[in-house]
Amino acid sequence: MSESSVTKPEPVRRKLSAGPLSRGDKWFFRTTSIAANFAFVLVAFILVFLIIQALPALSSQGFSFIYGTEWNNTKDPIVMQIGPMLWGSLLIGAVGVVIATPLAISLAYLIVFMLSTRLAKVATTLVDLLAALPSVIIGLWGLFVFSPVASEWAMLLNQYLGWFPLFQVGTADNGFVGSPFIAGWIVAIMIVPIITSITREVFSQLDRDLINGALALGGSRFSTFRRVIFPTSAGAVVGAVLLGLGRALGETVAIFYVLQLTFDINWGQILEPKGGAVASMILAKFGEATAEEVSGLTAAGLVLFVLTLGINFLASIIVNRAQPWRKI
Amino acid sequence: MSFAPRPAVQPWSRVNTARRIQIFLASSLPLAVTALIVLFGGLNPSVALLGVFLPLQLLAAGYVGFASFGRRGVGDASLIVLVLFFATFVLVLLASVVFSLISQGAQAVSWSFISQNNIYVSNTTSLEYGGVGHAIVGTLLIVGLTTIVTVPLGIAMAIYLTQSQSKTRGLVRTLTQAISGLPSVVAGLFILSMAMTLGWERSGLLGSMALLPLMLPTVARVAEEALRLVPVDLRYAALALGAPNYRAFFQVILPAAKSGLVTSILLGIARIIGETAPLLLTVPINNGTSWNPFSGNIMTLPAYIYGYLSSLFEPSQNRAWGAALVLMTVVAILFSAARFLSRSKSLKTKPTKQKASK
Repeated sequence: MSESSVTKPEPVRRKLSAGPLSRGDKWFFRTTSIAANFAFVLVAFILVFLIIQALPALSSQGFSFIYGTEWNNTKDPIVMQIGPMLWGSLLIGAVGVVIATPLAISLAYLIVFMLSTRLAKVATTLVDLLAALPSVIIGLWGLFVFSPVASEWAMLLNQYLGWFPLFQVGTADNGFVGSPFIAGWIVAIMIVPIITSITREVFSQLDRDLINGALALGGSRFSTFRRVIFPTSAGAVVGAVLLGLGRALGETVAIFYVLQLTFDINWGQILEPKGGAVASMILAKFGEATAEEVSGLTAAGLVLFVLTLGINFLASIIVNRAQPWRKI
Repeated sequence: MSFAPRPAVQPWSRVNTARRIQIFLASSLPLAVTALIVLFGGLNPSVALLGVFLPLQLLAAGYVGFASFGRRGVGDASLIVLVLFFATFVLVLLASVVFSLISQGAQAVSWSFISQNNIYVSNTTSLEYGGVGHAIVGTLLIVGLTTIVTVPLGIAMAIYLTQSQSKTRGLVRTLTQAISGLPSVVAGLFILSMAMTLGWERSGLLGSMALLPLMLPTVARVAEEALRLVPVDLRYAALALGAPNYRAFFQVILPAAKSGLVTSILLGIARIIGETAPLLLTVPINNGTSWNPFSGNIMTLPAYIYGYLSSLFEPSQNRAWGAALVLMTVVAILFSAARFLSRSKSLKTKPTKQKASK
């Protein structure tokens, strides 16, 4: 008996698989997964090629590339440092986000909870149209139309709220043009649609029963917003704001026209006509850049890429977490 | 969609005439007072808007709210006033952009402006000579090249995200969304670095390569939404009848999602057609017409606007406005086509959307 069990061939363990059966399906899924993995390849390629070209500048400048405050191509070992630009980008991003967030949340609230379906569609289309405006057109408008108006606002801010450190200026006679304040406004106009569209979607997917329940319990419009709508959607709104911040840091052409780029660091006097933005600096310096400087600009681009990718990745995770209905 | 709070004290009572008058006064008086102060008091309009109109409006609305609903009415009234104020503000900004584009651009745009190129045109040449014809050709060629490559890629990505059961879908989706925030200047630098590393010449082709990472996330995301709108039951029915996955896709899902996919293409084109920074870094500009995007200099609309924008001479600035109007018209046409297509689609499939997403 024991002998027979030894000689008996063991039955082949069958594999259960839910994979594609036909050859056509195999190719279908293989092709699409290659396309999907292209997203990883793309990010890897961007990193690799930027690093290859940025390496000479990074190795010659060291860590002071990031926090130093000088860019001088006439010195013999060329000095390239982007501290003021990096800080300026963050400052402009902060101003933009502070301006854009209330505007965007108001728009989303208006579209979802106050307008009739028909008007809501019109408003949504208008917001999407704002998103579709190319940044060079915003720059054109910002330079010729918006800057004069906003400089007047800046002057009034300085006049009435000048005691506040944020709104102080060194010299009064600067025309208030080219300041991080104006650049922040321009950036805000460009990120309002992004924040609005995500917030609107989250608002419209909120559980109706929850809101109706709050109203049935005697809640008013304000208390419903404060106690029900805002707490449930706050996570997604934070993600949306972060996405907007990422977009603001990468904004190039529009800021280029309305901002005075200086390598003198501006710690927070947002009405001063001196500021910086990494992306705009790359564009501004690229025209007359030497080979060494191109490497330095690429290094600046690398820093910007890593920064924005990090912020966007974080934001995307937050937004996706807060939108469980998007996952199947 | 909207929910309206009813009076708490007497839910059955209608808003009566006295209340109507109060509401009317509360919504018109603050504006009138502000206008009077600006016209006759000579106060700065910006100050008046924030310092006089907004507080007055809040006060008036708060009073009516208090009179109608008690203390809870005050919060509601301020919420409504603030929301309307901010939303109107954004719409005014948008209107300002569109209005200045049309009013400034219309001076420059004519048939010759659209058809001619820019050879023999200097900063001060009057607007009767020269135009954006060469830039339109270049933009169409470069954007067309990008579209040919990006659309199959983006749609395949969307198929992967909706049809397959792979575990990496969440990661791919998150990464795609993260790429959508790629700074456009970095996209340009990336292709430029690639070209310098591999020894390629700057040309229109590089420009369309630089636009690819900017267009891809838009196409992938919108196409994914479009595919998701198709009820899952349709696909399951096809699979249950014995169809392989690719047949189910091409014969059942694709026809149902066709207009949504076209929308994704249109929105993708609208996203990149105005991109400036990548083209400035990778494409050498040209004043003549070039039909060859693979080598040599070629002009694009954004580069044209960029070039003339910072000029101090009036004809040049007018050229920039004119080119911006042409660009905006193209974007608006693409955009309305996309809207039109997606609207007719979403009306038909709206009831099934909820079901499909569960």
